Amino acid sequence: MAGFALQGIEKTFGHTKVLQDISLEASDGEFVVLLGPSGCGKSTLLRIIAGLEAQTSGTVNIGDQVVDTLSPRDRDIAMVFQQYALYPHLTVRENLAFGLKMRKESPNVIEERIGEAAELLEIQNLLDRKPKELSGGQRQRVAIGRAIVRKPKLFLFDEPLSNLDARLRTSMRVELKKLHKRLGVTMVYVTHDQVEAMTLGEKIVVMDQGSIQQIGTPDQTYHQPSNPFVAGFIGNPPMNLIEGSLQTNLKNLEFRAGDFTLRLNAQVEVTPTPGSGSAILGIRPEDVGLDPPGAIHIALSCTIDVIENLGGDHVVYLLTQGQRLVARTTPNTIEKAGDSVTIYLPINKLHLFIHDSRVSLDIVN
Amino acid sequence: MTNPFSERILLTLGIFFAVLGSLFPFLWFVLTSLKSQIQVEAIPPTWWPDGSVEFYCSALIDHDLFNYIWNSLIVASATTVIALVIATPAAYALARIRLQGKVWVFGGLLCVAMFPQIVIAGPVWQILERIGGLNTHWGLVLPYVTLTLPLAVWILATFFQELPLELEEAAQIDGCTAWQALYKVMLPLAAPGLFTAAILTFIYAWNEFFFALLILTDPVKQTLPVGIALFQGEFTMPWGEIAAASVIATLPLIVLVLLFQRGIISGLSAGAVKG
Repeated sequence: MAGFALQGIEKTFGHTKVLQDISLEASDGEFVVLLGPSGCGKSTLLRIIAGLEAQTSGTVNIGDQVVDTLSPRDRDIAMVFQQYALYPHLTVRENLAFGLKMRKESPNVIEERIGEAAELLEIQNLLDRKPKELSGGQRQRVAIGRAIVRKPKLFLFDEPLSNLDARLRTSMRVELKKLHKRLGVTMVYVTHDQVEAMTLGEKIVVMDQGSIQQIGTPDQTYHQPSNPFVAGFIGNPPMNLIEGSLQTNLKNLEFRAGDFTLRLNAQVEVTPTPGSGSAILGIRPEDVGLDPPGAIHIALSCTIDVIENLGGDHVVYLLTQGQRLVARTTPNTIEKAGDSVTIYLPINKLHLFIHDSRVSLDIVN
Repeated sequence: MTNPFSERILLTLGIFFAVLGSLFPFLWFVLTSLKSQIQVEAIPPTWWPDGSVEFYCSALIDHDLFNYIWNSLIVASATTVIALVIATPAAYALARIRLQGKVWVFGGLLCVAMFPQIVIAGPVWQILERIGGLNTHWGLVLPYVTLTLPLAVWILATFFQELPLELEEAAQIDGCTAWQALYKVMLPLAAPGLFTAAILTFIYAWNEFFFALLILTDPVKQTLPVGIALFQGEFTMPWGEIAAASVIATLPLIVLVLLFQRGIISGLSAGAVKG
């Protein structure tokens, strides 16, 4: 077992830069999730860690060893692929044994490890079947089993659940979490699904267009997104982001986007102190209230455009001063589409981004 | 409205006549080989043979057919083995390596495979003469390998391309070198392709006449097609022996195809990825 570290990883394919200046560290036993939209370079980064792809520059450390010149087989890692990649001509048992045989483990050890893994993943009764006789979920278990038996320093997962149906995905997610807890090994997990990232990750690395946007705990990436991309990517429905400009007017700050104006009064302190200029204001749908909150807030009058009933809660699409806002509310709201309502934006839930990075809004008493 | 019943009858009849048409020459030879000398020369020809095996004995013993069979076996097997040993890594590389102008390489392969033999006959003969390859089996195997390689590479490359790259990567992570990944994981999965390439190569080398006639002039070294063609004497045309020898020459191919057709029918890679 070991942590890993990446320093200044860059990768270019021809003239296309797919990764730039990636630096990242994970301690021993940490569950790291690489999260981003497709094409953001997260899978390439995972493949560089695995040694399946060579970086253009930068270093990869696994444990305290620089592995840049090592082939995948010498890096002591295991990988679970999106398409399972089980050897179709071998039985489940042979699939599990394959890596151990290649490493010349004794038959006793192989038998013992297969037994352990099969018990852990509850695939004992599948050992003599071929991969084609298994369901998607079973195949994924075998693929995970093949990784476990090797007892590697590092587990790499490349969107392992994306081929499973929604229900199976949820239950496998829980099992993966338990597995990580039980094995206590470092795992790197690539996904484009923010729910997977939030539920599994201890450290989330949000990526876009080949570079890291934010590294943080699930809470940090959710509550303190460092830029508008992270703010918009994490959370469902996504955060309301309004592009506009900031104007300082004596001690008051004003955010304007077309007809839409928000006055942030003297009670709010923005650090670092902004000048006038373009800015993005954000608020999460669940922070948009239809009832006045206790905290200091701004009230806005809106019209309800559409209400989506999700059973557990309602997603309300609102129009106000030429802007669209989405609110997530409890289902007992009695309003319907077309109604005029007043919404409340708590100041401490507002996110302000200037030049693509977060500035903090503090309330001074 | 179509009648499924009459449609089926038409289809069955169609298939029956197509198969009969293509099999007829061979059937006629089988029948001829089992006739007696008198039956063969009878006019009008008789349909049913009297089941004599005299032509088989004569072909095998008087015309030394075993020698030709043995020669053909050596040449065809050597060609198949050598062609596959070279074609497999070549096809694998072609299928896997990111290469600019790969289309041209594949196109070039196909072009080479379509060269008329007569165009290269002269140069091949000259080269073989210079390196002492005339009248030797290896001298024949050499051009055979050259001529069968493009097709073998083409077939295998197509197979390798269809196998998911992830399997190979999984093997590498599991501890295989590139070679081990090839022969422990990729080759078993490409088995149908290997069988197909092997059988086509073998059939080509077994049946080839032109180069064999050109290169092998010594009867001791000659292969089946040349041997059988030379049954014909200056004043004789031993139809019966030729028919018997042809049947014997065809049998191994039929056995081979029947034996390996299960291997050729693919489906082995089902379950490797989400189906």
